[in-house]
Amino acid sequence: MTTELDIPYLDIADPSFAMHSQAVRDARARSWVAKTNYGYAILRHEYVSKLLKDPRLRQGSAKWPEHNGVHSGLFYDWWTKCLLVLEGEDHHRIRRLLNPAFSLKHLEPYLPRFEELADELIDSFLPSGQVEFVNEFAQPYATRVLCILLGIPESEWPTIARLASTIGLALGITLEQDLPAVEDALAELYGYAEDLIRDRQANPGPDLVSRLVDANRNGDSLSDDELRNALCLLIFGGMDTTRNQLGLGVMSFMQHPEQWELLAAHPELAPAAVEEVMRTNPTTTWVTRETVVDFDYEDLHIDAGTTVHFFTQVSGTDPQAYPNPEIDITAERVGHYGFGGGMHHCLGHFVARADMSIALRALSKKMTNLRINGVDEWMPDSGNTGPVLLPLAFDAR
Amino acid sequence: MKVIVDRTKCDNHGQCTFSAPTVFRLDDNGILQYEENVDESLRDEVEEASDVCPAQAIRIAD
Ligand code: HEM
Ligand code: HEM
Ligand code: SF4
Repeated sequence: MTTELDIPYLDIADPSFAMHSQAVRDARARSWVAKTNYGYAILRHEYVSKLLKDPRLRQGSAKWPEHNGVHSGLFYDWWTKCLLVLEGEDHHRIRRLLNPAFSLKHLEPYLPRFEELADELIDSFLPSGQVEFVNEFAQPYATRVLCILLGIPESEWPTIARLASTIGLALGITLEQDLPAVEDALAELYGYAEDLIRDRQANPGPDLVSRLVDANRNGDSLSDDELRNALCLLIFGGMDTTRNQLGLGVMSFMQHPEQWELLAAHPELAPAAVEEVMRTNPTTTWVTRETVVDFDYEDLHIDAGTTVHFFTQVSGTDPQAYPNPEIDITAERVGHYGFGGGMHHCLGHFVARADMSIALRALSKKMTNLRINGVDEWMPDSGNTGPVLLPLAFDAR
Repeated sequence: MKVIVDRTKCDNHGQCTFSAPTVFRLDDNGILQYEENVDESLRDEVEEASDVCPAQAIRIAD
Protein backbone atom coordinates (compact mmCIF):
# COMPACT_ATOMS: atom_id res chain seq x y z
CA MET A 1 0.00 0.00 0.00
CA THR A 2 1.37 3.35 -0.95
CA THR A 3 -0.03 6.61 0.19
CA GLU A 4 -2.37 8.96 -1.57
CA LEU A 5 0.17 11.74 -1.13
CA ASP A 6 0.96 13.89 -4.10
CA ILE A 7 4.72 13.49 -4.19
CA PRO A 8 7.04 14.11 -7.15
CA TYR A 9 8.18 11.26 -9.41
CA LEU A 10 11.78 10.96 -10.65
CA ASP A 11 12.76 8.53 -13.43
CA ILE A 12 16.20 7.62 -12.11
CA ALA A 13 16.63 4.74 -14.58
CA ASP A 14 16.63 7.18 -17.52
CA PRO A 15 20.28 7.38 -18.69
CA SER A 16 19.93 11.15 -19.03
CA PHE A 17 18.66 11.55 -15.45
CA ALA A 18 20.77 14.26 -13.78
CA MET A 19 21.05 15.03 -10.07
CA HIS A 20 22.10 18.60 -10.95
CA SER A 21 18.84 19.38 -12.77
CA GLN A 22 15.98 21.80 -12.32
CA ALA A 23 13.51 18.88 -12.14
CA VAL A 24 15.31 17.49 -9.09
CA ARG A 25 15.60 20.92 -7.45
CA ASP A 26 11.88 21.49 -8.03
CA ALA A 27 11.08 18.11 -6.51
CA ARG A 28 13.18 18.96 -3.44
CA ALA A 29 11.44 22.34 -3.06
CA ARG A 30 8.06 20.61 -3.20
CA SER A 31 8.69 17.58 -1.03
CA TRP A 32 11.24 15.84 1.19
CA VAL A 33 10.58 12.57 -0.61
CA ALA A 34 10.06 11.50 -4.23
CA LYS A 35 8.89 8.26 -5.81
CA THR A 36 11.25 6.59 -8.23
CA ASN A 37 11.39 3.47 -10.39
CA TYR A 38 12.90 1.61 -7.42
CA GLY A 39 11.04 2.93 -4.41
CA TYR A 40 11.53 6.23 -2.66
CA ALA A 41 14.23 8.89 -2.79
CA ILE A 42 14.94 11.15 0.18
CA LEU A 43 15.82 14.64 -1.02
CA ARG A 44 16.27 16.99 1.95
CA HIS A 45 19.22 17.15 4.31
CA GLU A 46 17.19 17.05 7.52
CA TYR A 47 15.38 13.88 6.45
CA VAL A 48 18.48 12.13 5.12
CA SER A 49 20.18 12.86 8.42
CA LYS A 50 17.35 11.30 10.44
CA LEU A 51 16.23 8.40 8.26
CA LEU A 52 19.65 7.18 7.13
CA LYS A 53 20.39 6.16 10.71
CA ASP A 54 16.89 4.91 11.51
CA PRO A 55 17.02 1.35 12.88
CA ARG A 56 13.95 0.45 10.80
CA LEU A 57 16.06 0.51 7.65
CA ARG A 58 18.93 -1.76 6.66
CA GLN A 59 21.53 -1.95 3.89
CA GLY A 60 19.77 -2.33 0.56
CA SER A 61 22.38 -4.02 -1.63
CA ALA A 62 22.45 -7.39 0.17
CA LYS A 63 20.26 -9.23 -2.31
CA TRP A 64 22.01 -7.92 -5.40
CA PRO A 65 23.45 -11.28 -6.55
CA GLU A 66 20.11 -13.08 -6.05
CA HIS A 67 18.24 -10.36 -7.91
CA ASN A 68 20.58 -11.07 -10.78
CA GLY A 69 20.27 -14.83 -10.82
CA VAL A 70 23.42 -15.64 -8.83
CA HIS A 71 22.75 -17.92 -5.85
CA SER A 72 26.07 -19.61 -5.10
CA GLY A 73 29.77 -19.69 -5.87
CA LEU A 74 32.86 -17.71 -4.99
CA PHE A 75 31.40 -14.29 -5.74
CA TYR A 76 28.15 -15.04 -3.95
CA ASP A 77 30.02 -16.22 -0.86
CA TRP A 78 32.24 -13.15 -0.80
CA TRP A 79 29.41 -10.71 -1.37
CA THR A 80 27.15 -12.16 1.28
CA LYS A 81 29.96 -12.04 3.86
CA CYS A 82 31.15 -8.58 2.88
CA LEU A 83 30.99 -5.90 5.57
CA LEU A 84 28.85 -3.65 3.42
CA VAL A 85 25.93 -6.08 3.40
CA LEU A 86 26.28 -7.61 6.87
CA GLU A 87 23.84 -6.37 9.50
CA GLY A 88 23.52 -6.42 13.27
CA GLU A 89 26.08 -8.15 15.44
CA ASP A 90 27.79 -9.82 12.42
CA HIS A 91 28.51 -6.39 10.97
CA HIS A 92 29.42 -4.68 14.23
CA ARG A 93 31.90 -7.39 15.25
CA ILE A 94 33.94 -7.07 12.04
CA ARG A 95 33.61 -3.30 11.96
CA ARG A 96 34.85 -3.04 15.57
CA LEU A 97 37.93 -5.08 14.68
CA LEU A 98 38.67 -3.08 11.51
CA ASN A 99 37.91 0.46 12.70
CA PRO A 100 40.99 1.25 14.83
CA ALA A 101 43.44 0.46 12.00
CA PHE A 102 41.71 3.14 9.89
CA SER A 103 41.89 5.89 12.49
CA LEU A 104 43.72 9.12 11.77
CA LYS A 105 46.64 8.44 14.07
CA HIS A 106 47.55 5.21 12.27
CA LEU A 107 47.36 6.90 8.89
CA GLU A 108 49.80 9.67 9.59
CA PRO A 109 52.93 7.63 8.80
CA TYR A 110 51.62 7.05 5.26
CA LEU A 111 50.90 10.68 4.40
CA PRO A 112 54.43 11.74 3.30
CA ARG A 113 54.46 8.92 0.73
CA PHE A 114 51.03 10.02 -0.57
CA GLU A 115 52.50 13.50 -1.08
CA GLU A 116 55.53 12.21 -2.96
CA LEU A 117 53.27 10.10 -5.14
CA ALA A 118 51.04 13.06 -6.03
CA ASP A 119 54.12 15.10 -6.97
CA GLU A 120 55.65 12.29 -9.02
CA LEU A 121 52.49 11.82 -11.05
CA ILE A 122 52.00 15.55 -11.63
CA ASP A 123 55.62 16.11 -12.59
CA SER A 124 55.36 13.39 -15.25
CA PHE A 125 52.80 15.38 -17.28
CA LEU A 126 53.40 18.95 -16.06
CA PRO A 127 55.79 20.06 -18.85
CA SER A 128 53.36 19.01 -21.59
CA GLY A 129 50.58 21.29 -20.32
CA GLN A 130 47.99 18.55 -20.84
CA VAL A 131 46.76 15.43 -19.11
CA GLU A 132 44.02 12.84 -19.44
CA PHE A 133 43.16 13.25 -15.78
CA VAL A 134 41.45 9.89 -15.14
CA ASN A 135 44.12 7.58 -16.53
CA GLU A 136 47.19 9.69 -15.89
CA PHE A 137 46.38 10.90 -12.39
CA ALA A 138 43.21 9.78 -10.62
CA GLN A 139 43.41 6.05 -11.39
CA PRO A 140 47.12 5.48 -10.65
CA TYR A 141 46.94 7.74 -7.59
CA ALA A 142 43.89 6.00 -6.09
CA THR A 143 45.26 2.53 -6.82
CA ARG A 144 48.77 3.21 -5.59
CA VAL A 145 47.47 4.78 -2.38
CA LEU A 146 45.75 1.49 -1.63
CA CYS A 147 48.90 -0.45 -2.56
CA ILE A 148 50.88 1.73 -0.14
CA LEU A 149 48.32 1.23 2.59
CA LEU A 150 48.17 -2.54 2.13
CA GLY A 151 51.89 -3.01 1.50
CA ILE A 152 51.47 -4.31 -2.07
CA PRO A 153 54.44 -3.23 -4.26
CA GLU A 154 53.35 -0.06 -6.05
CA SER A 155 54.64 -1.44 -9.35
CA GLU A 156 51.77 -3.93 -9.30
CA TRP A 157 49.12 -1.25 -9.47
CA PRO A 158 47.97 -1.99 -13.04
CA THR A 159 47.13 -5.58 -12.03
CA ILE A 160 45.23 -4.44 -8.96
CA ALA A 161 43.35 -1.84 -11.01
CA ARG A 162 42.43 -4.46 -13.62
CA LEU A 163 41.21 -6.97 -11.02
CA ALA A 164 39.13 -4.36 -9.20
CA SER A 165 37.48 -3.10 -12.36
CA THR A 166 36.71 -6.67 -13.47
CA ILE A 167 35.08 -7.34 -10.10
CA GLY A 168 33.25 -4.05 -10.66
CA LEU A 169 31.47 -5.67 -13.61
CA ALA A 170 29.46 -7.44 -10.93
CA LEU A 171 27.78 -4.12 -10.26
CA GLY A 172 26.26 -4.12 -13.72
CA ILE A 173 23.02 -5.74 -14.73
CA THR A 174 24.92 -8.26 -16.87
CA LEU A 175 26.25 -9.91 -13.71
CA GLU A 176 25.17 -13.42 -14.72
CA GLN A 177 27.02 -13.20 -18.02
CA ASP A 178 30.11 -11.57 -16.48
CA LEU A 179 30.25 -14.00 -13.59
CA PRO A 180 33.11 -16.24 -14.82
CA ALA A 181 35.40 -13.22 -15.36
CA VAL A 182 34.36 -11.75 -12.00
CA GLU A 183 35.10 -14.99 -10.17
CA ASP A 184 38.51 -15.38 -11.85
CA ALA A 185 39.43 -11.85 -10.83
CA LEU A 186 38.19 -12.40 -7.30
CA ALA A 187 40.22 -15.62 -7.03
CA GLU A 188 43.32 -13.75 -8.18
CA LEU A 189 42.69 -10.95 -5.69
CA TYR A 190 42.23 -13.56 -2.95
CA GLY A 191 45.69 -14.85 -3.88
CA TYR A 192 47.19 -11.40 -3.31
CA ALA A 193 45.38 -11.00 -0.02
CA GLU A 194 46.38 -14.44 1.24
CA ASP A 195 50.06 -13.82 0.40
CA LEU A 196 49.92 -10.52 2.28
CA ILE A 197 48.35 -12.10 5.35
CA ARG A 198 50.90 -14.94 5.44
CA ASP A 199 53.74 -12.47 5.05
CA ARG A 200 52.55 -10.21 7.90
CA GLN A 201 51.86 -13.17 10.15
CA ALA A 202 55.50 -14.18 9.67
CA ASN A 203 56.96 -10.63 9.66
CA PRO A 204 54.70 -8.30 11.64
CA GLY A 205 55.39 -4.56 11.38
CA PRO A 206 53.71 -1.23 12.19
CA ASP A 207 51.67 -1.32 8.95
CA LEU A 208 47.93 -1.53 8.41
CA VAL A 209 47.77 -5.21 7.43
CA SER A 210 49.83 -6.19 10.49
CA ARG A 211 47.42 -4.21 12.63
CA LEU A 212 44.51 -6.12 11.13
CA VAL A 213 46.29 -9.46 11.62
CA ASP A 214 46.76 -8.41 15.26
CA ALA A 215 43.32 -6.87 15.75
CA ASN A 216 41.79 -8.58 18.66
CA ARG A 217 39.23 -7.75 21.26
CA ASN A 218 38.44 -9.72 24.38
CA GLY A 219 40.00 -12.73 22.71
CA ASP A 220 38.00 -12.26 19.48
CA SER A 221 39.97 -11.71 16.29
CA LEU A 222 39.47 -11.86 12.54
CA SER A 223 39.85 -15.33 11.02
CA ASP A 224 42.14 -15.63 7.98
CA ASP A 225 39.07 -15.81 5.72
CA GLU A 226 37.52 -12.73 7.30
CA LEU A 227 40.75 -10.86 6.91
CA ARG A 228 41.05 -11.89 3.27
CA ASN A 229 37.46 -10.80 2.55
CA ALA A 230 38.13 -7.50 4.24
CA LEU A 231 41.31 -6.79 2.26
CA CYS A 232 39.48 -7.49 -1.00
CA LEU A 233 36.66 -5.23 0.00
CA LEU A 234 39.05 -2.39 0.80
CA ILE A 235 40.51 -2.65 -2.68
CA PHE A 236 37.10 -2.85 -4.23
CA GLY A 237 35.43 -0.18 -2.10
CA GLY A 238 38.30 2.30 -1.98
CA MET A 239 39.67 2.55 -5.48
CA ASP A 240 36.98 3.49 -7.97
CA THR A 241 35.34 5.75 -5.40
CA THR A 242 38.53 7.75 -4.87
CA ARG A 243 39.34 7.85 -8.59
CA ASN A 244 35.85 9.10 -9.45
CA GLN A 245 35.73 11.62 -6.63
CA LEU A 246 39.05 13.16 -7.69
CA GLY A 247 37.78 13.59 -11.26
CA LEU A 248 34.55 15.15 -10.02
CA GLY A 249 36.55 17.43 -7.75
CA VAL A 250 38.72 18.78 -10.53
CA MET A 251 35.59 19.30 -12.67
CA SER A 252 33.95 21.29 -9.86
CA PHE A 253 36.97 23.54 -9.53
CA MET A 254 37.09 24.07 -13.30
CA GLN A 255 33.60 25.49 -13.00
CA HIS A 256 34.72 27.68 -10.07
CA PRO A 257 38.25 28.82 -10.98
CA GLU A 258 38.25 31.53 -8.28
CA GLN A 259 37.91 28.73 -5.69
CA TRP A 260 40.86 26.90 -7.27
CA GLU A 261 42.99 30.03 -7.00
CA LEU A 262 41.90 30.46 -3.40
CA LEU A 263 43.01 26.90 -2.68
CA ALA A 264 46.36 27.46 -4.39
CA ALA A 265 46.92 30.57 -2.24
CA HIS A 266 45.69 28.83 0.94
CA PRO A 267 46.79 25.19 0.85
CA GLU A 268 45.56 24.81 4.44
CA LEU A 269 42.03 24.93 2.99
CA ALA A 270 42.54 21.58 1.20
CA PRO A 271 40.48 19.56 3.73
CA ALA A 272 37.60 22.03 3.33
CA ALA A 273 37.99 21.77 -0.45
CA VAL A 274 37.46 17.99 -0.21
CA GLU A 275 34.32 18.46 1.93
CA GLU A 276 32.89 21.04 -0.46
CA VAL A 277 33.48 18.86 -3.49
CA MET A 278 31.91 15.84 -1.84
CA ARG A 279 28.95 17.89 -0.69
CA THR A 280 28.18 19.48 -4.06
CA ASN A 281 29.49 16.84 -6.49
CA PRO A 282 29.71 13.42 -4.80
CA THR A 283 30.62 10.24 -6.68
CA THR A 284 28.16 8.24 -4.59
CA THR A 285 24.99 9.96 -5.70
CA TRP A 286 22.78 7.81 -3.53
CA VAL A 287 23.07 5.41 -0.65
CA THR A 288 20.63 2.49 -0.68
CA ARG A 289 18.55 1.14 2.19
CA GLU A 290 15.58 -1.16 2.51
CA THR A 291 12.81 -0.93 5.11
CA VAL A 292 12.75 -3.82 7.58
CA VAL A 293 9.21 -3.22 8.88
CA ASP A 294 6.12 -1.34 7.73
CA PHE A 295 6.22 2.16 9.09
CA ASP A 296 4.80 5.65 8.93
CA TYR A 297 7.01 8.66 8.65
CA GLU A 298 5.30 12.03 8.78
CA ASP A 299 2.43 11.50 6.34
CA LEU A 300 4.10 8.77 4.32
CA HIS A 301 3.41 5.07 4.81
CA ILE A 302 6.24 2.77 3.70
CA ASP A 303 5.85 -1.01 3.39
CA ALA A 304 8.53 -3.39 4.65
CA GLY A 305 10.97 -4.35 1.90
CA THR A 306 10.75 -1.02 0.06
CA THR A 307 13.96 0.41 -1.40
CA VAL A 308 14.89 3.87 -0.16
CA HIS A 309 17.62 5.90 -1.85
CA PHE A 310 19.25 8.71 0.10
CA PHE A 311 20.31 11.35 -2.41
CA THR A 312 23.66 12.83 -1.40
CA GLN A 313 24.21 15.69 -3.85
CA VAL A 314 20.58 16.74 -3.58
CA SER A 315 20.61 16.78 0.24
CA GLY A 316 24.10 18.32 0.14
CA THR A 317 22.83 21.36 -1.77
CA ASP A 318 19.51 21.67 0.08
CA PRO A 319 19.09 25.42 0.69
CA GLN A 320 17.44 24.71 4.06
CA ALA A 321 20.73 23.26 5.35
CA TYR A 322 23.07 25.32 3.16
CA PRO A 323 21.75 28.85 2.59
CA ASN A 324 24.35 29.50 -0.14
CA PRO A 325 24.83 26.02 -1.54
CA GLU A 326 27.48 26.91 -4.15
CA ILE A 327 30.97 25.57 -3.44
CA ASP A 328 32.82 27.84 -0.99
CA ILE A 329 35.94 26.44 0.64
CA THR A 330 35.95 29.13 3.33
CA ALA A 331 32.39 28.50 4.59
CA GLU A 332 31.42 26.72 7.82
CA ARG A 333 29.06 23.92 6.83
CA VAL A 334 27.06 21.13 8.42
CA GLY A 335 28.17 17.66 7.34
CA HIS A 336 27.21 15.97 4.05
CA TYR A 337 26.41 12.29 3.38
CA GLY A 338 28.92 11.60 0.60
CA PHE A 339 30.44 8.89 2.85
CA GLY A 340 27.04 7.52 3.80
CA GLY A 341 26.07 7.51 7.45
CA GLY A 342 25.25 5.36 10.45
CA MET A 343 26.58 1.86 11.07
CA HIS A 344 27.81 1.54 7.46
CA HIS A 345 29.48 4.96 7.39
CA CYS A 346 32.51 4.63 5.10
CA LEU A 347 35.34 2.77 6.83
CA GLY A 348 37.96 4.46 4.67
CA HIS A 349 36.83 8.08 5.01
CA PHE A 350 39.94 9.23 6.91
CA VAL A 351 42.09 7.67 4.16
CA ALA A 352 40.00 9.19 1.37
CA ARG A 353 39.83 12.60 3.03
CA ALA A 354 43.58 12.67 3.61
CA ASP A 355 44.65 11.39 0.20
CA MET A 356 42.24 13.62 -1.71
CA SER A 357 43.25 16.74 0.19
CA ILE A 358 46.91 15.96 -0.51
CA ALA A 359 46.07 15.50 -4.21
CA LEU A 360 44.01 18.68 -4.55
CA ARG A 361 46.66 20.70 -2.73
CA ALA A 362 49.43 19.41 -5.00
CA LEU A 363 47.40 19.89 -8.19
CA SER A 364 46.34 23.45 -7.34
CA LYS A 365 49.89 24.34 -6.38
CA LYS A 366 51.29 23.37 -9.78
CA MET A 367 48.44 23.90 -12.26
CA THR A 368 46.23 26.84 -13.20
CA ASN A 369 43.78 27.80 -15.95
CA LEU A 370 42.41 24.27 -16.23
CA ARG A 371 40.16 23.59 -19.23
CA ILE A 372 38.66 20.68 -21.14
CA ASN A 373 40.94 19.71 -24.01
CA GLY A 374 39.02 17.30 -26.24
CA VAL A 375 36.07 15.05 -25.51
CA ASP A 376 35.20 14.19 -21.93
CA GLU A 377 33.07 11.14 -21.19
CA TRP A 378 30.97 10.45 -18.07
CA MET A 379 29.22 7.61 -16.29
CA PRO A 380 25.47 8.06 -15.72
CA ASP A 381 24.29 9.77 -12.55
CA SER A 382 22.95 6.65 -10.79
CA GLY A 383 24.53 5.16 -7.69
CA ASN A 384 28.18 5.91 -8.41
CA THR A 385 29.31 8.43 -10.99
CA GLY A 386 32.41 10.16 -12.32
CA PRO A 387 34.40 10.82 -15.48
CA VAL A 388 35.55 7.97 -17.73
CA LEU A 389 37.77 10.34 -19.72
CA LEU A 390 38.72 13.86 -18.67
CA PRO A 391 41.27 15.35 -21.09
CA LEU A 392 42.57 18.65 -19.71
CA ALA A 393 44.87 21.45 -20.75
CA PHE A 394 46.39 23.78 -18.15
CA ASP A 395 49.18 26.24 -17.50
CA ALA A 396 51.96 25.13 -15.19
CA ARG A 397 52.86 27.51 -12.36
CA MET B 1 37.28 10.02 33.76
CA LYS B 2 34.78 12.37 32.13
CA VAL B 3 33.46 11.80 28.60
CA ILE B 4 32.30 14.78 26.54
CA VAL B 5 30.53 14.49 23.20
CA ASP B 6 30.24 17.66 21.16
CA ARG B 7 26.61 17.48 20.06
CA THR B 8 27.17 20.03 17.33
CA LYS B 9 29.60 17.60 15.68
CA CYS B 10 28.07 14.22 16.59
CA ASP B 11 25.92 12.88 13.76
CA ASN B 12 24.69 9.70 15.48
CA HIS B 13 26.66 7.29 13.29
CA GLY B 14 27.02 4.94 16.24
CA GLN B 15 30.59 3.82 15.51
CA CYS B 16 31.47 4.61 19.14
CA THR B 17 28.95 2.01 20.32
CA PHE B 18 31.07 -0.73 18.73
CA SER B 19 34.17 0.34 20.62
CA ALA B 20 32.63 1.00 24.04
CA PRO B 21 29.15 -0.53 24.19
CA THR B 22 28.70 0.07 27.92
CA VAL B 23 29.43 3.78 27.56
CA PHE B 24 27.72 4.69 24.28
CA ARG B 25 24.43 3.45 22.83
CA LEU B 26 21.85 4.54 20.28
CA ASP B 27 18.28 4.85 21.54
CA ASP B 28 15.18 3.65 19.64
CA ASN B 29 15.21 6.82 17.57
CA GLY B 30 18.83 6.28 16.62
CA ILE B 31 20.07 9.14 18.84
CA LEU B 32 23.33 8.78 20.79
CA GLN B 33 23.02 8.40 24.57
CA TYR B 34 26.15 8.07 26.71
CA GLU B 35 27.58 7.98 30.21
CA GLU B 36 29.44 11.11 31.25
CA ASN B 37 31.31 9.70 34.22
CA VAL B 38 33.11 6.55 33.28
CA ASP B 39 35.29 4.18 35.24
CA GLU B 40 39.01 4.40 34.58
CA SER B 41 39.06 0.71 33.57
CA LEU B 42 37.23 1.66 30.35
CA ARG B 43 39.77 4.25 29.24
CA ASP B 44 41.16 2.16 26.36
CA GLU B 45 37.68 1.52 24.99
CA VAL B 46 36.68 5.17 25.18
CA GLU B 47 39.93 6.27 23.55
CA GLU B 48 39.25 3.84 20.74
CA ALA B 49 35.72 5.25 20.38
CA SER B 50 37.16 8.73 20.20
CA ASP B 51 39.71 7.66 17.55
CA VAL B 52 37.17 5.97 15.30
CA CYS B 53 34.36 8.55 15.55
CA PRO B 54 33.87 9.78 11.96
CA ALA B 55 32.87 13.23 13.22
CA GLN B 56 35.71 13.41 15.80
CA ALA B 57 33.12 14.47 18.37
CA ILE B 58 34.35 12.60 21.48
CA ARG B 59 36.72 14.09 24.03
CA ILE B 60 38.00 12.70 27.31
CA ALA B 61 38.55 15.09 30.19
CA ASP B 62 40.46 13.52 33.07
C1 HEM C 1 36.17 9.29 -2.08
C2 HEM C 1 36.29 8.07 -1.74
C3 HEM C 1 35.20 7.27 -1.09
C4 HEM C 1 33.84 7.46 -1.11
C5 HEM C 1 33.05 8.54 -1.81
C6 HEM C 1 33.26 6.41 -0.30
C7 HEM C 1 31.91 6.27 -0.06
C8 HEM C 1 31.36 5.32 0.76
C9 HEM C 1 29.97 5.25 1.13
C10 HEM C 1 28.90 6.22 0.67
C11 HEM C 1 29.79 4.17 1.91
C12 HEM C 1 28.50 3.73 2.58
C13 HEM C 1 27.69 2.83 1.69
C14 HEM C 1 26.35 2.54 2.30
O1 HEM C 1 26.07 2.91 3.43
O2 HEM C 1 25.54 1.91 1.60
C15 HEM C 1 31.07 3.53 2.05
C16 HEM C 1 31.31 2.37 2.75
C17 HEM C 1 32.54 1.75 2.82
N1 HEM C 1 33.74 2.24 2.35
FE1 HEM C 1 34.01 3.99 1.37
N2 HEM C 1 34.25 5.60 0.16
C18 HEM C 1 35.46 6.09 -0.28
C19 HEM C 1 36.72 5.58 -0.03
C20 HEM C 1 36.96 4.43 0.68
C21 HEM C 1 38.27 3.90 0.95
C22 HEM C 1 39.58 4.56 0.56
C23 HEM C 1 38.08 2.72 1.60
C24 HEM C 1 39.09 1.73 2.14
C25 HEM C 1 40.31 1.98 2.41
C26 HEM C 1 36.65 2.51 1.74
C27 HEM C 1 36.07 1.42 2.35
C28 HEM C 1 34.72 1.32 2.63
C29 HEM C 1 34.12 0.18 3.31
C30 HEM C 1 34.84 -1.04 3.79
C31 HEM C 1 32.76 0.45 3.43
C32 HEM C 1 31.70 -0.43 4.06
C33 HEM C 1 31.53 -0.06 5.52
C34 HEM C 1 30.44 -0.82 6.23
O3 HEM C 1 29.51 -1.32 5.58
O4 HEM C 1 30.51 -0.90 7.48
N3 HEM C 1 36.01 3.58 1.19
N4 HEM C 1 32.02 4.25 1.35
C1 HEM D 1 33.06 -3.97 -0.18
C2 HEM D 1 33.22 -3.26 -1.11
C3 HEM D 1 32.18 -2.34 -1.58
C4 HEM D 1 31.95 -1.09 -1.14
C5 HEM D 1 32.64 -0.34 -0.05
C6 HEM D 1 30.88 -0.58 -1.94
C7 HEM D 1 30.39 0.69 -1.85
C8 HEM D 1 29.28 1.09 -2.52
C9 HEM D 1 28.76 2.39 -2.46
C10 HEM D 1 29.38 3.52 -1.68
C11 HEM D 1 27.63 2.42 -3.22
C12 HEM D 1 26.71 3.57 -3.48
C13 HEM D 1 25.81 3.73 -2.31
C14 HEM D 1 24.71 2.75 -2.20
O1 HEM D 1 23.99 2.53 -3.19
O2 HEM D 1 24.53 2.22 -1.10
C15 HEM D 1 27.45 1.12 -3.76
C16 HEM D 1 26.41 0.76 -4.56
C17 HEM D 1 26.23 -0.48 -5.01
N1 HEM D 1 27.10 -1.53 -4.91
FE1 HEM D 1 28.79 -1.52 -3.90
N2 HEM D 1 30.49 -1.55 -2.82
C18 HEM D 1 31.25 -2.65 -2.62
C19 HEM D 1 31.20 -3.82 -3.29
C20 HEM D 1 30.20 -4.14 -4.16
C21 HEM D 1 30.18 -5.33 -4.94
C22 HEM D 1 31.23 -6.39 -4.97
C23 HEM D 1 29.04 -5.31 -5.64
C24 HEM D 1 28.63 -6.34 -6.61
C25 HEM D 1 27.55 -6.92 -6.63
C26 HEM D 1 28.32 -4.14 -5.26
C27 HEM D 1 27.06 -3.82 -5.69
C28 HEM D 1 26.52 -2.61 -5.52
C29 HEM D 1 25.24 -2.24 -6.04
C30 HEM D 1 24.29 -3.13 -6.79
C31 HEM D 1 25.05 -0.91 -5.73
C32 HEM D 1 23.87 -0.08 -6.05
C33 HEM D 1 24.13 0.59 -7.35
C34 HEM D 1 22.92 1.32 -7.78
O3 HEM D 1 21.94 1.34 -7.02
O4 HEM D 1 22.97 1.86 -8.89
N3 HEM D 1 29.08 -3.43 -4.39
N4 HEM D 1 28.47 0.33 -3.33
S1 SF4 E 1 30.74 7.77 16.55
FE1 SF4 E 1 30.87 9.98 16.84
S2 SF4 E 1 29.30 10.81 15.51
FE2 SF4 E 1 28.87 8.67 15.78
S3 SF4 E 1 27.43 8.55 17.47
FE3 SF4 E 1 29.45 8.26 18.30
S4 SF4 E 1 30.08 10.31 18.86
FE4 SF4 E 1 28.37 10.58 17.52
